[in-house]
Amino acid sequence: MATHRAPRTFSPPVPSSGPWGFLAERWELVTLAVLAIAPLVIPALGGALGGQVTNLFIYCILALALNVMVGYTGLVHLGIASFFGIGAYCLAILTVPMYPFQIGFLAATVIAVLVTAGTGLALGAPTLRLRGDYLAIVTLGFGEVVKVTLRNLEQITGGMKGLNPVPPPGAGVTLAGIDLGKEFAIDPRWFYYLALLSLAGVVLAMRRLENSRLGRALVAVREDELAAQAMGISATKVKLSAFAMSSAVAGLAGCLYAASLSTTADPNAYDFNRSIMVLCAVILGGLGSIPGTLLGVAILVGFDTVLAPWADSWIQQMNINPKGLSYLSFSGWRLAIFGVALVLVMRYRPEGLIPSRRLSAELHKGGAES
Amino acid sequence: MNEHAGPAGTPLLHVDRVTVRFGGLVAVSELDLDVPEGSIISLIGPNGAGKTTAFNCVSGIYAPSSGSVRFRGKRLERAFTPGTILRALAVGLLTGLLFAAAAVDVDRLWMAVVKRGMITGERFTMAGAMERLRGYFRSELAIDQMAGKWRVVSADGSDVLAIKRDLGEAKLVRDALQAKVTARRTGPGTIPDATDLNQRDIAAAPSVVLPPVKEEVLDRLAAGKSRIRWRGWLGLFSGMLLGIAGTLAVWQRGRRSPHVVARAGISRTFQNIRLFSSMSVLENVLVGLDRTIPGGVFSMLLRTPKNRRDEAEARIKALSALDFVGLSGDANRIAGELPYGDQRRLEIARALATGAKLILLDEPAAGMNPSEAGDLAGLVERIRDRGVTVLLIEHHMNVVMRVSDRIAVLDHGTKIAEGTPAEVRRDEKVIEAYLGGEG
Repeated sequence: MATHRAPRTFSPPVPSSGPWGFLAERWELVTLAVLAIAPLVIPALGGALGGQVTNLFIYCILALALNVMVGYTGLVHLGIASFFGIGAYCLAILTVPMYPFQIGFLAATVIAVLVTAGTGLALGAPTLRLRGDYLAIVTLGFGEVVKVTLRNLEQITGGMKGLNPVPPPGAGVTLAGIDLGKEFAIDPRWFYYLALLSLAGVVLAMRRLENSRLGRALVAVREDELAAQAMGISATKVKLSAFAMSSAVAGLAGCLYAASLSTTADPNAYDFNRSIMVLCAVILGGLGSIPGTLLGVAILVGFDTVLAPWADSWIQQMNINPKGLSYLSFSGWRLAIFGVALVLVMRYRPEGLIPSRRLSAELHKGGAES
Repeated sequence: MNEHAGPAGTPLLHVDRVTVRFGGLVAVSELDLDVPEGSIISLIGPNGAGKTTAFNCVSGIYAPSSGSVRFRGKRLERAFTPGTILRALAVGLLTGLLFAAAAVDVDRLWMAVVKRGMITGERFTMAGAMERLRGYFRSELAIDQMAGKWRVVSADGSDVLAIKRDLGEAKLVRDALQAKVTARRTGPGTIPDATDLNQRDIAAAPSVVLPPVKEEVLDRLAAGKSRIRWRGWLGLFSGMLLGIAGTLAVWQRGRRSPHVVARAGISRTFQNIRLFSSMSVLENVLVGLDRTIPGGVFSMLLRTPKNRRDEAEARIKALSALDFVGLSGDANRIAGELPYGDQRRLEIARALATGAKLILLDEPAAGMNPSEAGDLAGLVERIRDRGVTVLLIEHHMNVVMRVSDRIAVLDHGTKIAEGTPAEVRRDEKVIEAYLGGEG
């Protein structure tokens, strides 16, 4: 009877996040506060840098969208950029002056998000039985199909020219004497705040998802689909929800992207490279981990779009490379550094920079919940 | 030992002549088994006797090759409801529209319906758009603008028939040309359709000087109408057929999926433990409780007070399930790091949490020492006392003999004996199967 464990009495727990979870929440609030105050303190954010950071936020939303599929549900998705693109084009079609619809940004975003969610369902429904490599190939193919379709439907999407100009959010809306459209067009900080607000909303939604019935079902299906089904969970529904949520959030990112650039750019902006870049960021940061995903994007995309151009201009200023040799410019080495960094991370920290709560709970016993 | 024999009448689970074949291999053959409500029935037999296959068959992982499994007198299959048909129709309509869009060239359709309205400077109205949509499918000539001049073009914009400086003049030319095209359709050798006749009075065509238009272009335009419609209908029908057939096929294949069986009230544990090992112990049980937690995505995202309450209630239920199996002190541990015996108990707690009326335990005492196995036997009895019927596969004879109301013995896929523990213990065939016969 040595191993017998007598039933213990317990007091009903108060559902709270525990000390670790509370800290994590506060960490997010601190970051949010810093990012919210930054544009008021750092004047550079009112210039080109502001645009770059906004871009970073948009990529963060996109990566969180991918995280729902790859991180929580364990479905490899190589075509997330196509949903990004569908969102961007939907918004553009509904708002550009070329077409008669010209509805407001908010309504157009809602419609675009619904359309991308529907497209996600349409892709998910026939591919539910696929897993791993096979699903990866399907999503990869879907990404290419969307890109080529966007390019070839010239009458609708403007072909390689893309659709422009996408009016800024709040165009024609005057609030308390401020012409919002004009402000958005002049000052990048408006977009900075819009993107930050959206990102905060998405992070909050993701955190709630993690601790909800659906979030647990997603992880259960990833861990053991059969056991999850034996618990009465419909794997079909759970996977379709993952597809729909992921696509919807990616579509939201697409809307912000098109609006911030005031063009959809050409369809090649939504190709495989972008999907892989985001996937790398998610894996680098830690699959299934919100802070990990954000950090991954900050490092990879930040390196690519903020640091690399900055380093290039610095090299130019210092006159190190007067002949403009490509091997002396920083961006010539960009992809090499990228690759080496990824290899190193995968070698020394395969679970990602900030592993998910479940994994870290495994490392620090005592758990995060209740 | 046997005082809990089930009541007469319909058994909770009725397995009727179930055979499972894998290719040429017969894993279970003609198995009959009744599980009365409130009893503990054991399924024993040497390794490879087909016990787990029988379990998989009951829990919906395999479909039986023949025979049937009935739970409370019903087959465990998803019912064919009007909802199924509606869903198939909805998917069919979607794929049909998608196919039709591809078939009629959605790019040119868009240009004709959306862009052309913008070009001629009309206000965009739904009625105008519908008018242009009809025009596209009637292959009517239309007017658009390029470089400040008005052009009379075919509906899809691929043929330019005339270029005029003045919009009024262009409209007259368009009407005259349209009359010519329609006359070609209604003339000898062609069969007019309803829309040709109520389209435009050919005799009332305006007399204007027409630009020279080649005969074959007019022929092509006249033929364009039936071509575009033919394409549209073909796309719509083939897409609908494909969508409906596909949805029904998927529905049919998922008809007997394990989750349908689980929702009907049968839950199970697995021989090789299948916990969600990176989740916490509590979360594992919460997954088992999934069906009992109300609320959808939106209440989750908004975290409504009701949603919070439901989650809190689920936690309390989960903790009491853990308490029942004696794991309440480990609620926050990661499931994968529990000792082996505790993992088995957690699996039982998770299965109980689904609210099942029948629970299938697949070798719950495997790898346990006699004292642990004794505890487990007690747990199985307590499960039965909660009103949950138990079907058990077990190799620990002490456990089996202690808890079972009846025992069925399988060997090479066939049931060789069934009876009370005392009967089975004395059965010649059972002793032979376990100890080996004389040849």
